[in-house]
Amino acid sequence: MVLPGSVDECVKALATHGAGARTVAGGTDLLPQMKNGVVKPAVVIDLSGVAALKGVASANGSGLRVGACATARELELNADVRKRFAGLADGAALVGSVQVRNLATVGGNLCNAAPSADMAPPLMALDAEAVIAGPKGERRVPLTAFFKGVRQTVLGADELLVAFVVPAPAAGSGGSYIRHTPRRELDIAVVGVASQVTIQNGRCVKARIALASVAPTPVMATAAQQALEGQALTPELIERAAGLAVDAAKPISDQRGSAEFRKHLVRVLTRRTLTAALARASA
Amino acid sequence: MSVMKTTRDVKGVGLSIPRPDGPDKVTGRIQYVADITPRGLLHAKLLRSPHAHAKIVKIDVSKARALPGVRAVLTAKDIPQLKRKPASRAHAVLALDRVVFVGQPIAAVAADELAIAEEALDLIEVQYEVLPAAIDPLQSMKPGAPPVADPGTEADLSEALAHSAVAMAKGEAPTTKAINVSQTAAVKRGDVAKGFAESDVVLEHTYRVPMVHQGYLEPHAVLAEWDRAGNLTLWASTQGSFNTRSEVADVLEIEDNRIRVIPVECGGGFGGKIRALCEPITAILARVTARPVRYVMTRREELEAGMPAPQVIIRLKTGARKDGTLTALEAETVLESGAFSGTVLAVSAVFLGSLYKWPAFDIKGSEVLTHKPSVAAYRAPVAPQSIFAIDSQMDAMARALGVDPVSFRARHLSHPGDPMANNQPWASMGAPQVLERAAAHPAWTGREQWKKGAPKGVLRGVGIALGGWLGGLQPTGATVKLNPDGTLAVLTGQVDIAGTNIALAQIAATAYGVDIDKVKITTGDTDVAPVTGLSAGSKTIYTVGVAVMQAAQAARKQTFEIAAAELEASVDDLELVDGKVVVRGVPNKGVTLQSIGKKGNLYMSKVEPVLGASHPAFSQQAPAFAAQIARIELDPDTGEVTLKDFVIVQDVGRAINPLAVEGQMQGGAVQSLGIALTEGLFYDDKGRLTNPSLLDYRKLTAADLPNLETVIVEVPAPAGPFGARGVGEPPIIPAPAAIANAVQDATGKRLTETPLTPEKIALALAGNGAS
Amino acid sequence: MPKQILSFTVNGDKTEVLVQPYVTLLEALRDEAGLTGPKEGCGTGDCGACTVHLDGKPVASCLVLALQARGRNVRTIEGLGTPTELHPLQDAFVRHGVPQCGFCIPGVLMAAAALLDETPAPTEEQIRYGIAGNLCRCTGYTKMVAAISEVAGSLKTKGAAR
Repeated sequence: MVLPGSVDECVKALATHGAGARTVAGGTDLLPQMKNGVVKPAVVIDLSGVAALKGVASANGSGLRVGACATARELELNADVRKRFAGLADGAALVGSVQVRNLATVGGNLCNAAPSADMAPPLMALDAEAVIAGPKGERRVPLTAFFKGVRQTVLGADELLVAFVVPAPAAGSGGSYIRHTPRRELDIAVVGVASQVTIQNGRCVKARIALASVAPTPVMATAAQQALEGQALTPELIERAAGLAVDAAKPISDQRGSAEFRKHLVRVLTRRTLTAALARASA
Repeated sequence: MSVMKTTRDVKGVGLSIPRPDGPDKVTGRIQYVADITPRGLLHAKLLRSPHAHAKIVKIDVSKARALPGVRAVLTAKDIPQLKRKPASRAHAVLALDRVVFVGQPIAAVAADELAIAEEALDLIEVQYEVLPAAIDPLQSMKPGAPPVADPGTEADLSEALAHSAVAMAKGEAPTTKAINVSQTAAVKRGDVAKGFAESDVVLEHTYRVPMVHQGYLEPHAVLAEWDRAGNLTLWASTQGSFNTRSEVADVLEIEDNRIRVIPVECGGGFGGKIRALCEPITAILARVTARPVRYVMTRREELEAGMPAPQVIIRLKTGARKDGTLTALEAETVLESGAFSGTVLAVSAVFLGSLYKWPAFDIKGSEVLTHKPSVAAYRAPVAPQSIFAIDSQMDAMARALGVDPVSFRARHLSHPGDPMANNQPWASMGAPQVLERAAAHPAWTGREQWKKGAPKGVLRGVGIALGGWLGGLQPTGATVKLNPDGTLAVLTGQVDIAGTNIALAQIAATAYGVDIDKVKITTGDTDVAPVTGLSAGSKTIYTVGVAVMQAAQAARKQTFEIAAAELEASVDDLELVDGKVVVRGVPNKGVTLQSIGKKGNLYMSKVEPVLGASHPAFSQQAPAFAAQIARIELDPDTGEVTLKDFVIVQDVGRAINPLAVEGQMQGGAVQSLGIALTEGLFYDDKGRLTNPSLLDYRKLTAADLPNLETVIVEVPAPAGPFGARGVGEPPIIPAPAAIANAVQDATGKRLTETPLTPEKIALALAGNGAS
Repeated sequence: MPKQILSFTVNGDKTEVLVQPYVTLLEALRDEAGLTGPKEGCGTGDCGACTVHLDGKPVASCLVLALQARGRNVRTIEGLGTPTELHPLQDAFVRHGVPQCGFCIPGVLMAAAALLDETPAPTEEQIRYGIAGNLCRCTGYTKMVAAISEVAGSLKTKGAAR
């Protein structure tokens, strides 16, 4: 086990150990995978000692910088996140249980890249970017381009996710993330939807809708977004957008839910998150 | 027969007393098998089949044996006693030449460390020839299905016997050999065709409850060690140490006396730990290595290869006239037992035909084998599933007739003395009183008003259901001895899972005549304790309670006889007050218990030590019933059900310890709700479990539940100690029906397959599901 | 695989054990530090039986690699209360008749203790969510909620206890 103290040391360790190495932060995805024999890393690089990866930094009026190792619990409780980036707080609050949220990191949640990752849709809806460190320095990738497939991201084997930067939402913005699960805790999203809207002069000037668990990666419901932008968000328009969001969903049927039910939920949760986002935007 | 009672005014029966092991449990001091680590301990792991049905062509363990730290690697070839055709799951220690379920053990490793044992498993090379598998029970019943059992093995009836179920007529074997039908049962009365012809309402539904896991938090665990004289000690997480001893002795072909089973604190059983599972192979590894060996199942192994509850499919057709009289009931029941026979098939038929009075019925049941892990019991085996069917059906019939669902049930409910499906009369039971008490609860009487207050966009529904358990029986024994200081010591062999020890101590206290704080109760191991039965079947208090009561009464009699001789009085003139045996009306003429106890232990004394013993067997079951009321809010768009209120009304005969009784009622109710709402073991078409983790095998959390209200009803059981009945099983029974009834109340849709997930409800409401 | 030294503080005591890198905090506590209070119910963070406090926060110790706890503070059920006095939550659990099989209890108590540290006057809903990561199969949770609620109420009048 390698115990780096800085981002540079992490990057060097990744370069040294190559494909046989896995990074660990909260361990909430990696350890179950190791226990089930899905992954058997020869080397584990512990990120929990790297101060630069921790924390949520924000300033009123400016955006948010979320360290890759910020925990779901931190995001759930952070007053600024709850106020201005409410969809992200919603998503973070739903991960696992309190014992899991004290460990699970936002970086781990997104780099594990399960289609059901609860913090992905809110960050995508907030136009977040991933800050990635590698041997050649730092690069940024918009989250909408971060996911390549189930459990696959654009991260190279020698790269490390360092942080997410989220631009400050304009005045008149509001967001929400709702997921459907059979139980209230300890569960995994059957479908999750994040909506983020900006309302100015009674019209929606910006709309983002991100869907979880209905495709190999989280996806944006672009047709639904376009239908909303420039318009007043009436219940009828919201319903129309909810229907368009269903078209963006390409879910499979598995033991957590059938494709039919998932499409049904996309409609319902898009309607509900748009309605909640609108209410928060108007508050 | 009058109720066994006493008028002794001591602190004992009827008090809510916390169990004495509470402090050790809340400090983490109490030990379970996985916490016991003797010197030289080896860790066991089992290699398990990835196929549901396959021939084992070749197993090569040479690389595994060579791994440093590995002390033994065994296959079936290395164990001569393994019978050619394992008659039961316990005998199928390691697969011989064929595997019959995914997860079946085929090789065993013992190593210095768990990680080494796991690595050794990866080094074992196995060649399989995959065979067609019988996965769906309805397909498996057909002639020509891939065979599950070895030809010639008898159906394993030990499970049915372990629950002392009411005997049923064995059904005729079907003429074409349906090779995987391992048990049949049939019972008839009257002319059902005529009954249906005379009906104004005929309803037919097929009810289905999938396999579910008992869900105990502590996985199966056992520690085995032999001495050099060939005696085995097992520290086991078990619901019955004597049962474990017998099964292991049978499998290993050694005498009972060669095995000592020490029942370690059991982290939950609920029927999943009444049969041997890992004990035989662990014992064999310990013998081969001459070291203590410990095997602890992982959660994944528990879910994939435990001993779950059977899947139950019941096609139920019932008829009634428009005046509300019942006419006929026709039922076909399929119980899926997995790879070995072991369901209590007859019990299902009894419930379907006995709870309500049917002029005509025709009930047929089949047990079917499939290539899945075989089943054991789960708290009131097949009762939740059977009551789900019959109670849902009665509720649906009431709605179809336009009558009140409670009065419809009450009108047709059997009373003590009415014939059961096998024509035996119903014993004393409190089903009518429980139903009446539940119907009087504000959660039920205020339901229409409550439903009107539903928030916008939310549907409210209220459901009620009634079910019960026949009550188990098993011979047992107990002793009560007087200590030299006048305190009492009680010994049983009963594993204390449900908090029964404190209740047994209370029974001893009241039966003998001292306060509870003067009584210590010990659970002895199989070398030390009287032979006793399983902590299961809701029979611990009912049977062991009687043994303890009788042993305490015997000890009291001996005590009085000693005192009578000393006081030169007649035994009939004595009473026991505040630790002193006195002549009635002459309080200063007495002798203390302390003095009697001391004299029974004094050098050269002629006074016998007081030792009361009892070893009864039982013939009279004590059925116990529970009704549950569920008030739900339902989100019609997502199908989510929120349980707002839940009430459990239960007849316990006599609450020996109300605090402990409430705990049983609440715990059983949550298991019942889990069956109703979220739980199921789901297999793919290759017989592989698709949800082998607690993420996807969903047990309810504290956030999913409201406070569970308990209402204790007491209809004394004539043969129960102080009138007590068993309490463990009734509360797991009614919720699936109560929830289905609440869902119909809220939405108008009748769902007949559990778990009643949001998906099923949402799609039913959207017009695509069952209605 | 060679072992590494893990130095950390457990229940107030400076502790050193040897562990391989793949060993979890739960395993290190149980197998090396002799603290068998935290239990393995699932090994995948789905049941809460392994809950301990890591730097004061409740975590699933089966999901933490032992070496990740280096230099940090761990508290297990054995560190709740003192050798002679039960913590108010422990005492309330006993009096309310909470423990049945007892297997989930250490984890529930650690979750409940952390809940009351963070939220001294929780609503019933907050209590339920505070222990929602702890599965119990025996009790149905009702008596747990009552016991935790009683302690929260008495903490309000007496001031926080540790």
